[in-house]
Amino acid sequence: MDAVTRAESTGDVKSVSPTEAIVCRSRTVRLRFADGVAHEVRVGESDTVLAASLRSGIQLIHQCKSGSCGTCVGRVTSGTLSMDSGAGHCLLPSEMALGQRLLCLSTPLSDACVQLDYPSSFLRGDGPMCVVGQISAREWVAANVVRLGLNLSDAVGFDFRCGQYMRVRIPGTDQWRSYSVATTPTELPTVELLVRILPEGVMSDYLRDRCAIGDNVELEGPHGSFCLRASQARHVMIAGGTGLAPIMSMLDQVRRIEGRRPKVLLSFGCASPESLFYLEELQARSDWMPNLEVRVTVDCGGANYRGAVGNPVGAVTAADVADSNTMAYLCGPQPMIAAARSHLKALGLRPENVFAELFAPSAQESLQSRCGTRQTSMEPEI
Amino acid sequence: MNPDASRTKRAGAPSPYAPYLEAEWGFLNHWYPAKFSNEISEGAVLGLQICGIPIVLRRSKGRVYALKDQCIHRGVKISARPTCLTDETLSCWYHGFTYDLETGRLVSIVAAPQDKIIGTTGLQTFPVHEVNGIVFVFVWSPTWKGDVPPLSHDLPLAFPENNPRFPHPLWPDAPHLLHENTVILGLHRLGYANWRLAVENSFDAGHLLIHKDSSYVRAKNWALPLGVRPTSDKAIQLIEDEEGPKGFINMYFTEHWEPVFVNERLNLRASGTGGAKYYRTHIVVPGALVVEAWPEDEVAQYEWFVPITDDKYEYWEVIACRCRTDEERASFEQRYTTLYEPQCLYGFNNDDIFAREAMQDFYADGAGWSDEQLGEMDHTIVTWRKVAARYNRGIAPKPRGVQGVVRGQAVDLANLVGAPQVVGRRAKAWMP
Repeated sequence: MDAVTRAESTGDVKSVSPTEAIVCRSRTVRLRFADGVAHEVRVGESDTVLAASLRSGIQLIHQCKSGSCGTCVGRVTSGTLSMDSGAGHCLLPSEMALGQRLLCLSTPLSDACVQLDYPSSFLRGDGPMCVVGQISAREWVAANVVRLGLNLSDAVGFDFRCGQYMRVRIPGTDQWRSYSVATTPTELPTVELLVRILPEGVMSDYLRDRCAIGDNVELEGPHGSFCLRASQARHVMIAGGTGLAPIMSMLDQVRRIEGRRPKVLLSFGCASPESLFYLEELQARSDWMPNLEVRVTVDCGGANYRGAVGNPVGAVTAADVADSNTMAYLCGPQPMIAAARSHLKALGLRPENVFAELFAPSAQESLQSRCGTRQTSMEPEI
Repeated sequence: MNPDASRTKRAGAPSPYAPYLEAEWGFLNHWYPAKFSNEISEGAVLGLQICGIPIVLRRSKGRVYALKDQCIHRGVKISARPTCLTDETLSCWYHGFTYDLETGRLVSIVAAPQDKIIGTTGLQTFPVHEVNGIVFVFVWSPTWKGDVPPLSHDLPLAFPENNPRFPHPLWPDAPHLLHENTVILGLHRLGYANWRLAVENSFDAGHLLIHKDSSYVRAKNWALPLGVRPTSDKAIQLIEDEEGPKGFINMYFTEHWEPVFVNERLNLRASGTGGAKYYRTHIVVPGALVVEAWPEDEVAQYEWFVPITDDKYEYWEVIACRCRTDEERASFEQRYTTLYEPQCLYGFNNDDIFAREAMQDFYADGAGWSDEQLGEMDHTIVTWRKVAARYNRGIAPKPRGVQGVVRGQAVDLANLVGAPQVVGRRAKAWMP
């Protein structure tokens, strides 16, 4: 766990009252997690700390609920918890002497405080973490796009949802950038990012000039709520440039759905044939997924280009979104998102079914990192 | 897609059938044959493993139930020492954790009827379809959502229903597994190779060489070709109906395939002089094969290669025959016993088992999947890989806590040498 620290750490106490008032004489038990988060719960004289906590929505690690397995153990730091419920239990006298109690059998005889040895986020599993990854691949997939592979095998407990992004500290600097993960949790401990390379830029300079396989990189995340919605309706995805990254992750999530898989249309666009990338990856998804249709466009084709010229927004037609339940996912630069929103609205798509992930235009790369923001818009702005 | 064809393939680009390469432990959410009906009599309890998932079968009041064969308590195989205390339940022999056959729910514990865990947990259950003497199990993931597809979606197509699409003027309609009046006789046995090597061997268009001197082929005096080569893009015809099985038919004995009877350079000729044997192979995901008009015109041979672990599979070989009367049935049974089983399922197909096991070393650590050099005869192999990559309903993850994950354990070695007093020996119902 050396490389891992939980990013969130607040000392706030949230008071929770039990949903059922079975209280004759109830006591207040304060549950303090390893990350400093504490919750208070009222526990009646014939109730147990575990039962009252679970009813109040406080998740505690437990299994057998009968004093046998030992997983719900906590350490009393003040007050008294009694385990004299008439059942046997697995704690040794030496553990009892240290103040350890099994919360599934424990009833408070006074107000009490219990220390737990795991963080409050443990059972949620969705909090951002600071982790260290090792660069395992750096591949130029287009003239201005690098696929960056990172090995997070030291990041015990790290997880994310398809579509989320990570903040990345550029090695040797104090600069941070945000990049969506292009792979899925199935590929962990490997994650891949798609990085657009600029003529000048701190990350661009690093990847072009100094990056070596094996370099350590600090990351923080996951962040964001851009993710696939459960729906059997068609999913329309519009990606511009490296905005393809979270879409790749979501495509591979759809590919692995166990059960009926929704139909997906992906419209992907880049500025020019030279900047197009991941065509092999998209062809492979088309081969693997009978439910997927992919359209690729470039803004300016040139005389010899035989593919479609246009933009990825215009490539989506009224027929594509004829089903009023169609879900849309947009990821790309701000003008593309705005154009897509108004285009989809004009085609009759419900605004609440449109989800967008904005990435900062390249010129704002440093601005974005300074603010530490990456806007995820859940709410349609149409 | 409309990529510019002038672009060349990148070194780091994905394999066109990468999901198939991931499927070392098989494809989940498909129907697989588990046992012959007559292997599991009333009240019987049997264990087996499919795609790394231990499964216990019990027949109660005629019906076969399938549950995960791993007690939630300490993980032992429930089938290791069958214990049934009521018609509706299955009990673990160790501490008496007792599960409802229908729902898998933990309904009691022999020695702890008050335990709070009762009613809060249970075993995964699996859908069962028993038909024409075979018990099929839908081996699904706990996260499968939606309806269970019908068994027919995981079996080869039926004839004569599909004659207009896939005509076969040279032999009668193959008896289908699901048809009334179909009698199925056959066997299943353990194969020591990855299941994909077995599937690929089964319809390999270039592998007839290994059967050249089979005693069955010699006795029939058939001019079995040395190989067959595809001559048009209609040689392999895909089956990818929205509601139906997904696979393909090798359209042998049409103008789209050319049989090779002689290799001048090597001075080798097909041996038989009695004329050609017409037949056709047809395979669907997750690996259900039929050889129409084989071993003889009026019957069909069906095969499955059911993954057990990533280096063992259960090889199912059955002959299906249309029998409308008791006389026809008796005649088929006699022919099966005296000819098909000894000369075909064992004699002829033993050569295939040999080939699959011979391939295992090259592919076991992944080398073969990247280093193999394929030729024109392998068109059909690559088609299978792509179809399987596209239409499988889920890739079985490498499991945890089951037989075959950790290799060479003392208990496995003890089983090999037949040491007495080893509980595991009683769990090997799927061993030959």
